[in-house]
Amino acid sequence: MRKTWVLLPAIAAVISMGFVAQPAVSQERSVKIAGFGARSGVVRSFGVNTEAVMRAAADQINKSGGVKLGDGSMGKIEISFDDDRCNAEEGISVLRRIASTDAVVAVGPTCSNVAEPLFGILQKRVGDAGDSGLKMPIFTDTAIKGGLAQISDWAFRNVPNEAEMYQSLFVWLQKENPELKSVYGGVEEDFAHSRFTWHKVMKTKSGDAGYNVLGESKWLLADTNFTTQVREMKKANPDIIAISAHPFTTCGVLKEMARQKVKPKLLVGLTSSSSMETLNGCAEQAEGIIIPTSFAPVTPEAEMAAAAAARFDGSADLHSAAAWEIVMVLKDVMESQGIMAKADTVDADRAKVRDGLAALKTTKGLLGTIKRTDEGEALKPYVYVHAKGGNWKVLHDPGI
Amino acid sequence: MDDFLLELIYVVQSIVDGILFGTTYALIGIGFTLIFGVMHKLNLAYGAVSIGGAYASLMIFHLVPSPIVAYLASAVATGAFGYLVYLCCFRFLPLSNPLAPLMATVGAFLFIDEVIVHATNGMPEPYPSVFDEMIFFGEFGLRSDLLFVFAIGLISMLVLMYVLYRTRLGLAVRAVSQQPVAAELCGMSQERTNAITFVITGALGGVAGAMIGASVGVLSPLLVAPITIKGLIVTVIGGLGSIPGAIIAGLAVGAFENLFQYFRGVTERDMYVMLLLFLFLTFRPGGIFSSSIGRD
Repeated sequence: MRKTWVLLPAIAAVISMGFVAQPAVSQERSVKIAGFGARSGVVRSFGVNTEAVMRAAADQINKSGGVKLGDGSMGKIEISFDDDRCNAEEGISVLRRIASTDAVVAVGPTCSNVAEPLFGILQKRVGDAGDSGLKMPIFTDTAIKGGLAQISDWAFRNVPNEAEMYQSLFVWLQKENPELKSVYGGVEEDFAHSRFTWHKVMKTKSGDAGYNVLGESKWLLADTNFTTQVREMKKANPDIIAISAHPFTTCGVLKEMARQKVKPKLLVGLTSSSSMETLNGCAEQAEGIIIPTSFAPVTPEAEMAAAAAARFDGSADLHSAAAWEIVMVLKDVMESQGIMAKADTVDADRAKVRDGLAALKTTKGLLGTIKRTDEGEALKPYVYVHAKGGNWKVLHDPGI
Repeated sequence: MDDFLLELIYVVQSIVDGILFGTTYALIGIGFTLIFGVMHKLNLAYGAVSIGGAYASLMIFHLVPSPIVAYLASAVATGAFGYLVYLCCFRFLPLSNPLAPLMATVGAFLFIDEVIVHATNGMPEPYPSVFDEMIFFGEFGLRSDLLFVFAIGLISMLVLMYVLYRTRLGLAVRAVSQQPVAAELCGMSQERTNAITFVITGALGGVAGAMIGASVGVLSPLLVAPITIKGLIVTVIGGLGSIPGAIIAGLAVGAFENLFQYFRGVTERDMYVMLLLFLFLTFRPGGIFSSSIGRD
């Protein structure tokens, strides 16, 4: 019994040494990156994939040592991910919450209808003392509607430039198939991205490439009956039908086209439809549809990213693969800017990340070098894929 | 062909397509109206349950790849889900407070919708169809799958009418809906009748969900909200509690919807459908037919 009492101070000493030693362990700081996007609702797959890819990228960085901080120590990337349900109000609320934490940068959102108002609550121009907007750098992986990053100096995007992609695609199609003369559009009219892409991108770029644009049929995201729209397509009898819609209605329209025996010589689809969702819903009817995309597992890096995403139960596609590139770019920016990742340096770290991102002229991408514009947008390399035998296959690489 | 004649064919085509697709609205409307007739309560989870049952039937379809088996499985699964909704949203809730079951069904609607989203990641799932061709008569075409949907819808409605008006069970349902106290005194259990009503309407919703899946070719959580809204519109236009009203209103809403879309485009289509609803609420609040199943 007496021995036990003698041992107690020794045990206490050992325990206290443990506590004393703890600060040494916590020298390894964590660098927090806050992801957010749609992880519920009908576009849940986008958020699920983005989160998986972000975690996979962070895991790879952490395994190779982490991020080198401004004082020479190493920091581990810590990913969080919040659900904005593809809803503008929830997106703004999520961002405000993220801004109240010690996250140095936010990655998201999924939907353009969230990104547009969300960027609006950021400080418009850096250094404007009269603007009380949030000073939080946001790097967007998915919301693709054109020109959104120019809303704020704190907004950056790594989304493909659809205007360039479709311009290049229609010029290439014209060159490869000179006998095709006309284009007819099908557009999901109530979704910001698909609407913008048809009216401002596909329609104008196909016209610029010399096609006769015969008109367009419109439907809504939740529509279930496409007989009238497909009859309009049939009436127009175009050589090419360009469908600017997301997978659910793309499949509905393609199935209706098959029923009404509407067989254009070529089908062109929306960037977001170059996913497994489309093939899952209507592989047979989608056979041959051509879509420009900024991701396909055609390089060793892209293959590796796709495999890593799969290990985290995600799928690398046009949108989620951008999240991989973003995490890698952020690592480089954080190291070059020497962020400290301390509780009292959050604001300074955010400013450093913003400055670093704004200064970028090029970044490394999974398909090659990505050019950065002064407006915070990306000019990404891309390929044309087509649906073949239930898979997406690369049809042409305009970069070669 | 003469342009005017072609235009006329397209107009008729739009109306016919709408009527055929309207069968699914009618089936959903009947479900809403039957529950309202019996319990005087709206079950806003009904559309979600219908699509949920169709999703559940896909699991059976993967085991037994027959569309007919899938449709039957959808009816059975949705009947079971209907009973669960009754237990969760009505059976143990204070029905004297009209908000309690209403909000419970809103919660069930959101819950079922999100369960589907989480189970499928929101991905569209192909749904089997027995027929997938069009039958052409010159420029005029009929979708064989919609004809099938129409036929199944009609059969389901006839079966329902038979059950309601030719069986003891139907007698009990009508008795409880019209005079619950008297029915109870005559030995008809209100709770049992209510539960059976939920199972029957659930099965009907399962058929509707399967038919919607078959006609679209794909199931998606995106279907849940629109069919709920359409079902409610049909119920109001047809007259709360009126089964013939729900049938006529379902077909009419389908036809008007397509007609408005043909003439005014998809962006204005729903505005006109809503306008139709407001017109009915203002000038004929009892709907096309006055309630035939309702409490005195």
